Amino acid sequence: MEEKTNQALPEKCVRCSRPMTSPLFCDYCQTLHPVPGVVDHFQLLGLPRRFDADQQALHESYVALSRHTHPDYHVDDSAEAQALSMTVSAAINEAYRTLSDPIRRAAYLLELLGGPPSAEDKSVPDGFLETMMMMQEELMDARSAGKAEELARLGAVLQTQQEGLMKHVAGLYAELDQAVSCKATRQDLLHEIRKQLNAVAYVRKLLSQARQEQS
Amino acid sequence: MSDDAIVGIDLGTTNSLAAVMTPAGPEIIRDESGNSLMPSVIAFHPDRSVSVGSEAKSGAVANPLTTVYSVKRLMGKGLADLAEDRRVLPYHVVGGEGSAVSTEAPAGGRDLVKVDVNGRLMTPEQLSAIILSEVRARAAKALGRPITQAVVTVPAYFDDAQRQATRDAGRIAGLEVKRIVNEPTAATLAYGLDRQEDATVTVFDLGGGTFDISILKIAGGVCQVLATHGDTHLGGDDLDRELIDLIAGEIRRRYGQNITFPPATRQALRSFAEAAKIRLSDSDEAAVEVDLGEGRTFRRTISREEFESLAAKWIDHTIEHCRRALADARLAPEQIDRVVMVGGCTRIPYVRRRVGELFGAEKLYTAVNPEEVVALGAAVQAGILAGVRRDMLLLDVTPLSLGIETLGGATGKLIMRNTTIPCQTSEVFTTYVDGQTAVDIHVLQGERELAADCRSLGRFQLRGIPPMPAGAPRIRVTFLIDANGILNVSAREERSGKSASIQITPSHGLTRREVEQMVKESLTKAGEDMLAHQLIDLRNEAGRILKAVGQALAGAGGALNDQQRRMLDSAVALLKARMAGDDPDQIYAAMEMLNDAAAPLTEAQMDEVLRKTVKGRKLDEF
Repeated sequence: MEEKTNQALPEKCVRCSRPMTSPLFCDYCQTLHPVPGVVDHFQLLGLPRRFDADQQALHESYVALSRHTHPDYHVDDSAEAQALSMTVSAAINEAYRTLSDPIRRAAYLLELLGGPPSAEDKSVPDGFLETMMMMQEELMDARSAGKAEELARLGAVLQTQQEGLMKHVAGLYAELDQAVSCKATRQDLLHEIRKQLNAVAYVRKLLSQARQEQS
Repeated sequence: MSDDAIVGIDLGTTNSLAAVMTPAGPEIIRDESGNSLMPSVIAFHPDRSVSVGSEAKSGAVANPLTTVYSVKRLMGKGLADLAEDRRVLPYHVVGGEGSAVSTEAPAGGRDLVKVDVNGRLMTPEQLSAIILSEVRARAAKALGRPITQAVVTVPAYFDDAQRQATRDAGRIAGLEVKRIVNEPTAATLAYGLDRQEDATVTVFDLGGGTFDISILKIAGGVCQVLATHGDTHLGGDDLDRELIDLIAGEIRRRYGQNITFPPATRQALRSFAEAAKIRLSDSDEAAVEVDLGEGRTFRRTISREEFESLAAKWIDHTIEHCRRALADARLAPEQIDRVVMVGGCTRIPYVRRRVGELFGAEKLYTAVNPEEVVALGAAVQAGILAGVRRDMLLLDVTPLSLGIETLGGATGKLIMRNTTIPCQTSEVFTTYVDGQTAVDIHVLQGERELAADCRSLGRFQLRGIPPMPAGAPRIRVTFLIDANGILNVSAREERSGKSASIQITPSHGLTRREVEQMVKESLTKAGEDMLAHQLIDLRNEAGRILKAVGQALAGAGGALNDQQRRMLDSAVALLKARMAGDDPDQIYAAMEMLNDAAAPLTEAQMDEVLRKTVKGRKLDEF
């Protein structure tokens, strides 16, 4: 997989030809622009492509963009502009949803960086499956015995496990930032991140099971 | 303010009301007596006239079959969904496969309901439209200008069919529905309007027929919904029903299992139950007295503890929904700063206690009028749409996951619940047979794994796919949930670049053609109803004139000459004849003629009165 490089974005407003700071709307004449086909979530929200994205900057950027694009502010526009505001808002919402959640952000960034997709690389850390089998059994026992407290305890254990895995992922992304030039190291790191994220997906599934049983 | 102000309408199960944005802030629209709430009750009278509101509600006991209430519970539902409601509703709810107003062939698998009032079949959309029309008329009267645009609120947990039905009702009522907004979100807008501090807020909204819980983050004028949960079939009606069942059960035990409750008694029981529930918010007990006829009267006192034990299972459900919403928002109860209590049922002390136990009693916030908060918020949203309040930004979510039926009857989820709207996703479909030109997609809403357990939104048929070998076409179908929470679907064949046409068969609800038909019909029906009303008024007026003329003739008839008398007699005969007809203009013209012909008589009568008065005075003077 190739890393997807940043694409050049439109720089001038189609209506007033003034330079634009966001690809989505003109700061001057407020005209909305369609989402460029090549733009990624980071570009859309005007953030650097990093895992440790500044969450406050992310939220501020999201809100600032929404204040221009949200359909609530375009109800009296032409049908075309209204439809555009809907699709542009949907794109911003999707970008924010992905980047504001660490797990989704990690998976998305891995894809952008050309890491192995989950469909091709199903590896998990050593000893992980054994631990999960045990957890699964304990979950089933607690469920059939109707032990709400035990379910809550298992839920907490899984939660801690997920946090540990994500901490590891964050560390791997930090290493990746250091290894700018060494292609082999980067490929190894991307593979390792995929491994951790596969484990996270597994834990997440069990976690939602545990929570469902509780309620 | 411009003439085309957008009003905010809270279309409730029990009551409806409207508010409008003013430079001073949102204001509730009241009638001459200062009332804001209009009961969401419609009465159909034998003379074909219709009344809405308190008048209709007060006649509910006497006319159980022709008084329609709780219409909101029927919106977007099929007959199968309403078994429990049909048991307690005194009016007739019937299946509506196909449509009484449409010549279209009944669509396969469509499950609609209608209300049958003396053979007149009406959809829930049409009934809600009658309520909306009345709210609109009252608002227009209070504001002194016509109302054409509205923001209408719905429970946050309303599914696509229920939202569409609400929007269609607005359209049938002649209103342009600028936005469907979620009730708890609207409440937050009203709550957060004058508060600058950032907070994480829970809205607990327990109304007459629906329950919503929403968790929002308010920061810097942005209201962002984090999670929402609820039950569109849980509310004060259910608490009423518990009381009804209690009373009815005891009556049966005392007077025999075979005692039947005619519709009027059922309606009376309902009124007593509702009154008892309200009374128990302030008092420790409420007395109930039911007249069973034949000198039998059932008397009973219900204590607050008793009521609370009946309400417990329902309130348990609401607390459970609160926990789920918290889990979805990944928050603990301690992390909630405020709990805004909305809806009439939050006046019940037991409800307040239970919610307080979960979140902390000191966090509960109740507006002076919990029934008015939603309408106020709808007016704020109207202000945002109109550009009056650009400082506020509302980011709401879709309450239910959207999916499609996959092979083997499973649900493939495309959009997860609690995703911020508008949102969109696309999916590529292909063909299984060479030369196949159409593909069926079954769209679902809900959280369950099996398609059969989810709510069916409808079947979408992609047509006009260019004939190609099996698997070759790539039809990209885009599912977009708009800011109203309503699904829009479009499709494009990617190889040919042609947009495929989509024929939508809603599972519950009306096709676009049916809505248009109903809009037209409501205009002509409104004309007919108005005519009926006008005729009744005119006939009454004519009757009064005839009576007055008759009395005057008896008193001062002798003052007329022969010609005057002939003129008067023929005018009386003419009016009597035309009163039997249906033409208001003809009746009106005859009334005018009689008035003219009676003028000499009136003068004579005046003279007579004057003479008597003068006489009287003289007598007094002596």
